[in-house]
Amino acid sequence: MAAPLLLVVLVAVTVRAALYRSSLAAFISERVEVASPLNAWKRVVEGLALLDLGVSPYSGAIFHETPLIIYLFHFLIEYAELVFMITDVLTGVALYLAIQDFNKVVFKKQKFLIELDKYAPDVAELIRTPMEMHYIPLKVALFYLLNPYTVMSCVAKSTCAINNTVIAFFILATIKGSAFLSAVFLALATYQSLYPLTLFAPALLYLLQRQFIPIKLKSKSFWLYTMQYAALYLCSLVVIICLSFFLLNSWDFIPSVYGFILSVPDLTPNIGLFWYFFAEMFEHFSLFFVCVFQINVFFYTIPLAIKLKEHPVFFMFVQIAIISIFKSYPTVGDIALYMAFLPVWSHLYRFLRNVFILSCVLIVCSFLFPVLWHLWIYAGSANSNFYYAITLTFNIGQILLISDYFYAFLRREYYLTHGLHLTRQDGTEAMLVLK
Amino acid sequence: VCTSRFWFNYRHVANTLSVYRSVKRLGIPDSHIVLMLADDMACNPRNPKPATVFSHKNMELNVYGDDVEVDYRSYEVTVENFLRVLTGRIPPSTPRSKRLLSDDRSNILIYMTGHGGNGFLKFQDSEEITNVELADAFEQMWQKRRYNELLFIIDTCQGASMYERFYSPNIMALASSQVGEDSLSHQPDLGIGVHLMDRYTFYVLEFLEEIHPASQTNMNDLFQVCPKSLCVSTPGHRTDLFQRDPQNVLITDFFGSVRKVEITTETISLDRDLPGFERKLPEEELATEPLKYAEQLPVAQIIHQKPKQKDWHPPGGFILGLWALIIMVFFKTYGIKHMKHIF
Repeated sequence: MAAPLLLVVLVAVTVRAALYRSSLAAFISERVEVASPLNAWKRVVEGLALLDLGVSPYSGAIFHETPLIIYLFHFLIEYAELVFMITDVLTGVALYLAIQDFNKVVFKKQKFLIELDKYAPDVAELIRTPMEMHYIPLKVALFYLLNPYTVMSCVAKSTCAINNTVIAFFILATIKGSAFLSAVFLALATYQSLYPLTLFAPALLYLLQRQFIPIKLKSKSFWLYTMQYAALYLCSLVVIICLSFFLLNSWDFIPSVYGFILSVPDLTPNIGLFWYFFAEMFEHFSLFFVCVFQINVFFYTIPLAIKLKEHPVFFMFVQIAIISIFKSYPTVGDIALYMAFLPVWSHLYRFLRNVFILSCVLIVCSFLFPVLWHLWIYAGSANSNFYYAITLTFNIGQILLISDYFYAFLRREYYLTHGLHLTRQDGTEAMLVLK
Repeated sequence: VCTSRFWFNYRHVANTLSVYRSVKRLGIPDSHIVLMLADDMACNPRNPKPATVFSHKNMELNVYGDDVEVDYRSYEVTVENFLRVLTGRIPPSTPRSKRLLSDDRSNILIYMTGHGGNGFLKFQDSEEITNVELADAFEQMWQKRRYNELLFIIDTCQGASMYERFYSPNIMALASSQVGEDSLSHQPDLGIGVHLMDRYTFYVLEFLEEIHPASQTNMNDLFQVCPKSLCVSTPGHRTDLFQRDPQNVLITDFFGSVRKVEITTETISLDRDLPGFERKLPEEELATEPLKYAEQLPVAQIIHQKPKQKDWHPPGGFILGLWALIIMVFFKTYGIKHMKHIF
């Protein structure tokens, strides 16, 4: 299926190139929804300019990129637009290959379970066929490359695209089964922005599944593999951090990047939940609430791991979505990454309950963001509450999306093993509820 | 400079305006005077004689009149503006009348009046200027060659403290009272209801009335003005920073703008071939052609300027380490057999 993929890639590149040359590029790159203090292009340029003047870019509170980004853009700054287009294309291609492999795995597993008679007899309509799964990788690449969020993020030259590329390569490496590469890319992703740390669990679960190691706490092989993977991951992380020390011969980047991500000092409005709270908060509570908000991101890993240990890729999807909703400086680029996965679960469509509301909420909120921003900042007839209301609604929509998919996925799994027509004790039709 | 506002500080405005008048009478034009007043006396609702400011009881002398040019009025009389005028650090949009356009041949007279204390002078009830600031401002003026000689007169309570800290050369200072003494006002006018003048300035003005542009009175006479019997406070002066002997300094050096003008009736023609006037042109200068205007400007250099060299490069160790890691990862995943093809 190389040809359709190539076509999609060409269309995506054309759209981006056209937008780069238009006047919209300047407008988009200033939007706070697209460029956050962590990944704005202006700040990258500023940091590199400071470096040319002989000052450490981390000395002011402007530059919050990692040293590897400094190294990358030091040589490529004149070709920045090309770089971002290439990263988007790489992400799309990586996702395409990953999902292609994943489909094979899913199909193999399904066949295996059918032969083992694990499925109830009347679930024929829930079984996935290769026919329907044939176009899913293309759809995934399409969803990522032509998503307006991705296009905006690329035109704004936000380094979120690079983060997405690294995470996509990580997913590709994990699904291909190479523990070493997966650990390396996960370390790189964690090094870039702290939150992919939580993707350690789904990757581990997938690799264990691939090696046919059962996940029992007493099993020695489980612990051995976990230790190996964890060691690989931590070593590569340490190596990368030490290497970045040698770029500028200072550890300045650690408080500037990770301290900044964790302590959220910059309260510019964005599509996340942090800024409004901390703008209104008293000083002596801020540490407590920073901790609460940050724990909120990492907190869902373990319960989800317990619930979704048979389905690590879905777990990965939910985890990426949770990161992009609850991280300290989310942008639409993060959202684009998990939205790219939605075609993979298109077979859950019949179980989704809130499709209409969700699509309305997400589309309307996306349009209302610039409107209310203009009303607040330029017209002065609204205030931050309006913008925050839209942020809240947007995030609620996203959370509803994830929980809907979660429910649909679990429901399908339940139906597969227990049959489509569930009956209660007394014979009436039963309904599955997510408690 | 009059640093007070409000009706009950009438006398400070009258002081300043009287000195302004004397100085103008002795020849200094408005373009050479920077007058800072809180100009709220003449049109004050409490003034029984609007549009006038009197300096003598019985309303003998209206010092306000028609041709008073106030440069900094009302809320513009601040410490910052005063220091900016002195040091010349003025925003480019300031008009000429508000600037002190002095150079190193100018003699400057600074007269300040208001309420003061030991080491400070109060500006308009909200801020103060200290003697240290003033001394530093004068030092800046000296370093920027903004004065040749400077006469500083201050008529406030404890005025001598303001000139204690001066350290720049060519400054002479006079004050109406010593540290610990108050300067007193001269006389109230029952018709207007406030004191019209301060004692020291009153006697200085009486002294100045006798000066005319050709008078040879010197500074020593000014130091004798207002003895303790008349002034109640002890006037002080400081001449240690001054190069010349005060005996030889004329009053009109500071208070007036006196030029030596000789009128002659004979014509003098400026003749090129005057004897004794040799025009030696060094030979080297004639050898070169005169430059055209365009060549004088390095346009070619400007147009073809190379882009600025990036000064920072990542350290060699970093690049080596990074690419070594990348190659190691590549070979680890894809097997050692590719090594043969590279090496």
